[in-house]
Amino acid sequence: MSIDDATTAANDRLAGSEDMIVCVDVDKFYGDFQALKGVTATIKEGEVAVVCGPSGSGKSTWIRCINRLEVHQGGDIVVDGIELTNDLRNIEKIRSEVGMVFQQFNLFPHLTVLDNITLAPIWVRKKPRAEAEAMARALLDRVGIPEQAEKFPGQLSGGQQQRVAIARSLAMEPRVMLFDEPTSALDPEMIKEVLDVMKELARSGITMMVVTHEMGFAREVADRIMFMEGGEIVEVGTPEHFFTNPTEDRTKLFLSQIL
Amino acid sequence: MSDVNQVSADAEEEQFSPHETPSLPVGQWLRKNLFSNWANGILTLLGVLAALAALRGVLNFVFSENRQWDAVRTNLRALMTLSYPESQYIRVWVALGFIVGLAGLSAGIWANWGGVSVRRISTWLMGTGALLALCVIVREPSVILGSDGKVIRSIDGSLRRESFMDAMVDRSTWWIAAVLLLAVGAALWSRFSDPVRRRVEVSVTSVVFVGLGLAVLSLWIAPYGHYAFISETKSYIAESGRTVAFSTKMPWTVMLILLSCFFFVGRFFQSGRYLGFVKGASNLLWLISPLTLFWVVLRDPALDYGHVISTDLPMGLAFGLLGGALLWGLTRASIGEAGRITATALLVFAIFNWVAAFFGWYPMLQKARISFLLLALAALLAPNFMGEVAKRRQLVLGWVGVTALVHYLATMINTPSTVELQSTEFLGGLGLTLFVALIVVLLSFPLGVLLALGRTSKFPIFRMLSTSYIEVIRGVPLISVLIFFSVMVPLFLPDGMELAELAAVLTGYTLFSAAYLAENVRGGLQSITKGQYEAADAIGLTPAQRTGFIVLPQALTVSIPQLVGQVISTFKETSLLAIIGLFDFLRVANSVIPAQSEFMGVKREGILLVAMIYFFFNFTISKYSQRLERRVGLGER
Repeated sequence: MSIDDATTAANDRLAGSEDMIVCVDVDKFYGDFQALKGVTATIKEGEVAVVCGPSGSGKSTWIRCINRLEVHQGGDIVVDGIELTNDLRNIEKIRSEVGMVFQQFNLFPHLTVLDNITLAPIWVRKKPRAEAEAMARALLDRVGIPEQAEKFPGQLSGGQQQRVAIARSLAMEPRVMLFDEPTSALDPEMIKEVLDVMKELARSGITMMVVTHEMGFAREVADRIMFMEGGEIVEVGTPEHFFTNPTEDRTKLFLSQIL
Repeated sequence: MSDVNQVSADAEEEQFSPHETPSLPVGQWLRKNLFSNWANGILTLLGVLAALAALRGVLNFVFSENRQWDAVRTNLRALMTLSYPESQYIRVWVALGFIVGLAGLSAGIWANWGGVSVRRISTWLMGTGALLALCVIVREPSVILGSDGKVIRSIDGSLRRESFMDAMVDRSTWWIAAVLLLAVGAALWSRFSDPVRRRVEVSVTSVVFVGLGLAVLSLWIAPYGHYAFISETKSYIAESGRTVAFSTKMPWTVMLILLSCFFFVGRFFQSGRYLGFVKGASNLLWLISPLTLFWVVLRDPALDYGHVISTDLPMGLAFGLLGGALLWGLTRASIGEAGRITATALLVFAIFNWVAAFFGWYPMLQKARISFLLLALAALLAPNFMGEVAKRRQLVLGWVGVTALVHYLATMINTPSTVELQSTEFLGGLGLTLFVALIVVLLSFPLGVLLALGRTSKFPIFRMLSTSYIEVIRGVPLISVLIFFSVMVPLFLPDGMELAELAAVLTGYTLFSAAYLAENVRGGLQSITKGQYEAADAIGLTPAQRTGFIVLPQALTVSIPQLVGQVISTFKETSLLAIIGLFDFLRVANSVIPAQSEFMGVKREGILLVAMIYFFFNFTISKYSQRLERRVGLGER
């Protein structure tokens, strides 16, 4: 099954949706080392795409290129019709439409949970403080920790911190959410609470791109799974195809190690 | 033996709730920490003996019959402000009152001082009482004075001292004070020792206010500090027939009232809609007011209104209005490349003006040079304010405000003083020391932060400039910077261009201190993880917002200990001002007082007082910074 076939299969649910993220031949070098080798993929609006693969395969690099935390050297990346170039205005526009959740949470330790969430809406979206705070409390309610609003990040558990980080991204009302290994730094008993929030998000219809090793999550909510190795997308398919009938040997090897 | 102790300790622990660390009874604590084995016991005894010997030495020095404390008492005014005329003294109090009020306001706005338990206070009282009693005991008995007031000597020439018992009786006032303190402390301790009451706290602010109130009250009830004599020739030495307490009780009472009034004003705004505005205003006042108080209130410049109307005012207006119009044009959305070219041309012109000044190619008022440089910097910043009318107005109004301030201060600084003086500089003593320290710390702070940001910037030109500036300044001793600015800079200036010496020295000291502050801030900046930058970028903050909201607050928090160290050393190093001829606090004690005919050569008393006052200020700063660290550390835990 070729990449195009798999894309068609995934498109059933998303038929008629517009392209949200388009990557064409994206190259990225760290010195002599090529981290991304001509990555080409399209993610539709409302799609949940899971990216997996062994460590060092370029998953994180790719997802970080999409909101310009890393600069790609070759190819094109277009997000919601805006091309990522060196033009600062484009970068700012894309960043305010793309939310990102990090492996290490990266909450601002000197601000309360509420201030973490309302900072960008107030200063980037220019919302009145009262409105921003009301939205922040609603979001905290949505991620299940309404009672932690006045605390500092350091006083929360890892799972709670990651949920605050998700709320912080959602506060910008993004059209796309990027997740860079959101559960890898968590203790096992906290992974579920974060995944539950992500599942709820996926059902709400937001476009999501998730780098993760949580195969259960991928099987349950992904529209499409992309398998990367050595800076290339090796295999693309629906969860069904990916877990039951992978075509590539490298995918089979990876699955045998991880499952 | 040790088994028995163990058992009783266990029994003791059970009385406390499980999450509270039990404190050992005094006897056991001593045994555990100071006398755990015989070597430890000997060390403890030796340490105690050394401490007692040192205390005895200090007390004997202070209370020795050879000390002439009159020299300090009578010269208090000289120590504070040197020869500032008595008739104008209200200016000093006004300046001090303004700063005290501002401090009260800031304390009210910012401070959440927290509480201190009553038990803690009771231990302070008991500790002070015990220390006082100890002092009374270890101090050498006094020398016996004959009926003519002269020291009585024995046949072999040694001093005759009273017996130990007589000395104890003589010092009964001190005994009463010590016993009172101990008794009050012990009463509080026992009253607040049960598990519920031991947690009772009073706010630190009320403790501070009660302390200050008692200090001021003491001025009213105890007329201490008799001046030794009244000098007819040196009017600044002492008032006739007065005591220190009498001549200062009124002003200090006003200071206390100002402090508390503004504290409550600040408190009132602490939870309100205008908090942001009040914070901004108080910060701005901190930046501006020391300079204004120093050069305008204390100096009372004799303005030449003809010159003001013909030159100063038109020039200020021209820079304010024309510069504002230029900036308004530069922030048009359609300006494009032309804006950048204009700004660069302006910068080149502004820098050329300074080069020309050094070679004396053409005359130009200093104010104009500074204004051109500032205008060039504002023009470079213009792209950040492009677009919306509100933002453009912000930049233009900011420019007009800065111009007005700079021209006002520059005019005032270059106008001669009307205060009639007996020395070259209008202020000396502690007043000079404090003002210089305050101005240097406040001005070098923003400059240092900018330098640190420049040094860590990703633009090579900023990085290069900041790095070379910092390295050059750090490679030069402070004294040479001060001498350079006081002696060399005036030599380089062309004819007709003047710069008050003190202003030049302050500039040099600020530039010096900023380089060190920059290095401390840089240490903080480097401790911010990459993730913080990425998270700020990812939620769409602009680089300026990222710096202001995320990076700097954390970096400054991390570098509080180093920054406070820098503040303290800036304060102490103001004593180097003596080398370039200014009369700072230490120099007054070290060379002015010993030169008076009445107190020829009396140096030690003054220097001891100077040391104590330096210590008081620096210890307060250090303690406050520890509190601050604990408070802002909340986010980390």
